[in-house]
Amino acid sequence: MPRINSASDLEKLRDGILAQRQSLQGTITICGGTGCQASRSRDTIAAVTAELDRQGLKDKVRVRATGCHGFCEQGPIMVVEPGNVFYCHVQPEDAAEVVTQTVRQGQVVERLLYTDPVSGKQIPTEDEIPFYLAQDRQLLSQNRRVDPCKVEDYLAIGGYGALAKVLAGIAPETVIQEVKASGLRGRGGGGFPTGRKWAECQEAPGDEKYVICNADEGDPGAYMDRCVLEGNPHLVLEGMMIGAFAVGASQGYVYVRNEYPLAVKHIKVAVDQARELGLLGQNILGSSFSFEVEIARGGGAFVCGESTALMASLEGKVGEPRAKDVHTVVDGLWHKPTVLNNVETWANVPAILENGSAWFAGKGSGRSKGTKILALTGQIKNTGLVEVAMGTPLSTVLFDIGGGSASGKPIKAVQTGGPSGGCLPADKFGLPVDFDALAEASSMVGSGGMVVMDQDTCMVDVAKYFLAFLQDESCGKCVPCRLGIDRMLEIITDITEGRGRPEQLDLLEDLADTMSQTALCGLGKTAANPVLSTLRYFRDEYEAHILNGQCPAGVCQALITYSIDPEKCTACGLCRKACPHGAILGKKKQAHAIDLDLCEKCGICRSECKFDAIQVC
Amino acid sequence: MPGRELDSILEGRRSQPHQLIEVLQDVQENFGYLPEDAIRAVSRALGVPLTEVYGVASFYKAFSLKPRGKNVITICTGTACHVRGARLLLNQATGQLGVAPGEMTEDGMFTIEHVNCLGACALGPVVTENGSCHHHMAPGKLRKLITSLNGKGEATHA
Amino acid sequence: MIPYVTLSIDGALIKAAKGTSVLDVAIEYGICIPHLCHVPNLSDLGACRLCIVEHVVNGRSKVTTSCTLRVREGMVIRSNTERIRHLRRNIAELLVAQAPNSRAIQDIAVRCGVKKVRYPFRNENCVLCGRCVRVCSEMWQAKAIGFVGRGKDRKVDTPFSQPSEACKRCGTCIDLCPMTITPCDGPMKPGEEYLCGKCESQMMEANSSPDQCIWCDLGEGFQCGRY
Repeated sequence: MPRINSASDLEKLRDGILAQRQSLQGTITICGGTGCQASRSRDTIAAVTAELDRQGLKDKVRVRATGCHGFCEQGPIMVVEPGNVFYCHVQPEDAAEVVTQTVRQGQVVERLLYTDPVSGKQIPTEDEIPFYLAQDRQLLSQNRRVDPCKVEDYLAIGGYGALAKVLAGIAPETVIQEVKASGLRGRGGGGFPTGRKWAECQEAPGDEKYVICNADEGDPGAYMDRCVLEGNPHLVLEGMMIGAFAVGASQGYVYVRNEYPLAVKHIKVAVDQARELGLLGQNILGSSFSFEVEIARGGGAFVCGESTALMASLEGKVGEPRAKDVHTVVDGLWHKPTVLNNVETWANVPAILENGSAWFAGKGSGRSKGTKILALTGQIKNTGLVEVAMGTPLSTVLFDIGGGSASGKPIKAVQTGGPSGGCLPADKFGLPVDFDALAEASSMVGSGGMVVMDQDTCMVDVAKYFLAFLQDESCGKCVPCRLGIDRMLEIITDITEGRGRPEQLDLLEDLADTMSQTALCGLGKTAANPVLSTLRYFRDEYEAHILNGQCPAGVCQALITYSIDPEKCTACGLCRKACPHGAILGKKKQAHAIDLDLCEKCGICRSECKFDAIQVC
Repeated sequence: MPGRELDSILEGRRSQPHQLIEVLQDVQENFGYLPEDAIRAVSRALGVPLTEVYGVASFYKAFSLKPRGKNVITICTGTACHVRGARLLLNQATGQLGVAPGEMTEDGMFTIEHVNCLGACALGPVVTENGSCHHHMAPGKLRKLITSLNGKGEATHA
Repeated sequence: MIPYVTLSIDGALIKAAKGTSVLDVAIEYGICIPHLCHVPNLSDLGACRLCIVEHVVNGRSKVTTSCTLRVREGMVIRSNTERIRHLRRNIAELLVAQAPNSRAIQDIAVRCGVKKVRYPFRNENCVLCGRCVRVCSEMWQAKAIGFVGRGKDRKVDTPFSQPSEACKRCGTCIDLCPMTITPCDGPMKPGEEYLCGKCESQMMEANSSPDQCIWCDLGEGFQCGRY
């Protein structure tokens, strides 16, 4: 493609792409995101492409391999246009039927339609699916219109229009003013006002400044950044370019998690394409603005979500946070003023400049504006990525979009905000998805992970899980974090193994308070949140462990025993074969039994049993 | 140690200390782990003191200082996979092969690892086997997977 | 001419050279802020967190380490409030539970008001204060030792745990190590560790005479706040 030298060049290119596409009869969109690839969507894409070729439709119908649509559980997902026909779990064998029936004859292949688990009805089009209906998919909806490896697709939906508008004569101060007025706050966890961050960096002395995109999404249970970067990398790049122009940076970095190979690949392709088009490099779109982007792969450390640790890592050092007496907007990467935002934050920027701050601020509630992507996972019917206007009640997300509990057992809690967040009980589901409201309830929006837990989840075990995670991920530099987490885990392990004492609960609270006030970085300061929030809302479970030696959810291994109900056991032998410890005794046609001396209480037998014969008490 | 591969990794990055992590990523990808002489060579080539290279190599999860098995089975233990029973999978794999996470089996066939999130939470629990992803895993499915990779039929455990 | 700023520490107005840390200034003026990982003339890590103070900005006070906080004009610092004493005591408690076999750590615990240790004692021989690592790299430019691993596996070691070619055998790392000073009664047996507290009776006297330091004879190399 030729280099674009001005805004009018860009428009000409865009018009050309659109004109070319008008001759198409239709488009088959197939998700090629990480989730759907795990469900073999690549084979489906290849099969559909081959089938179109075989039926002579190659030039008339386009196959678009897109990034994640967010409804990973139903993958591989396919949308056939025109008609907005939505198919799920599409296998390569289905290609011929889809092309013949839907593309050629405009008929729906019923067996591939999505069945709503709540109503039990089949739903023919994507727009009617309840999972999507209650959402406001500003960012996510672009994913299905874009092949992440084709910049033409991004241009076709108006891409780089906001950048052109900015470079055509909006002053950096005005850009910052717009972002400030929009009320955009950091989507990575902190919720810091983005405009203020930019303004402080712009005002900081120095000619050399940097912008960084944090794509080192380490929160377990959150994957929206992966989805956006993988599905629409140019959107993130455009956001970074506008930010760089506003603060006066000429170099940017994308720090991306190496565990996301597809995201690494797509952002690399996008940077190359942008460079080829002249959207990166010297004098972008004929203006005086020059900007370059480098991709750095993260080494795998949750603590690198902390700005100073991430910057140390970019400098090739150990990812340890340092004291932030002076903020990174003044003293950041290589000690230069630096703006660091996460993927979702950058992705929100182009639309703010395109549609104006009032449009953005029109969505949301209180001091939380715009939309937020949430990763809805765990024991819920519809798992996947959900984007809602901020201020939407948790209950809407859990029940209207999520469809309620997967197991049919009542939802006990939802864990929001990852390891820095907390667990909210059912009576708090009226709370809105709002930075301040959730913080007040001892949790946080964080990066947007929402893990749903039902009656079979032990809340003490959840606290223990997060502590073990954080113990693994703490850099170990400062005492309150390293030793504090260690001691907390020691205490909680005591509790889950029946050695707990009532006074340890007070000690947990005291220690948590010390950690939150004295730890060096955000990881340590928030490390106690999962313990504090479960103590606040589920103290009875802690007490059941300590006072009665019971785990009400039947999870904590030391407090439970497994047994086989001889009435229900059919002697099928599945459990006996499955037990890795050889603890199940039994012969053909003879009810099996567990040798408690050998049993490690791993629970594998229970998950294998088809007859619900294995009991926990 | 094959110097040519290392040379091509270091090409264009010599005396650039900030490239350390990228270089180590490539060494890890190439050799499956970070061999001692590679670490020493990287230290010399980039001009970073050995202590610092070793510190970085031991800090990040992406790097392994010990050789890994022919088959690397990675079990996701992120929150979403955890609440759907990832622990059972870890129990299954370690029990079946008789090794602790991070260790290699004696025959050099397997290494079991766990990762804190693969970002495929909706499909959990997730296991990757040499880079290819298996979703909605269950202990039984994992047992079959390990058995088939082993190629030796049933029962590796003592 | 060195530019000076005026700040207030615990109500006292103090003139200090720009660029110095609050901890250094406080020590210079005889205000004892307990600390462990800080060593004069070496960089500050902010690892032990004992030197925390309240930094009051616009009426809101923020807890931060004084070793990493540079002095600024008009700064208001409180080093000895109820809140700080409580937090500091909890940190010292974590430390002494980890390494009761160090006289330096025992003294710090007593000095910070630890009366009871609520965790089971462990008998570690390193608290990762990093004094040795920094002196090796910053004073001798040797970088023979460094931090290895992370989180609970973090330790001070040489590369590959082999004798380092870079080591100059200067021994400064050992001189600076707070673990090398054994308790007055000799090493505590494993499983029988306790909070010593013998110097506690002298604490009251010391508190009322801030220019003296009678209990804090930590041996060569380890310098407490009041030297």
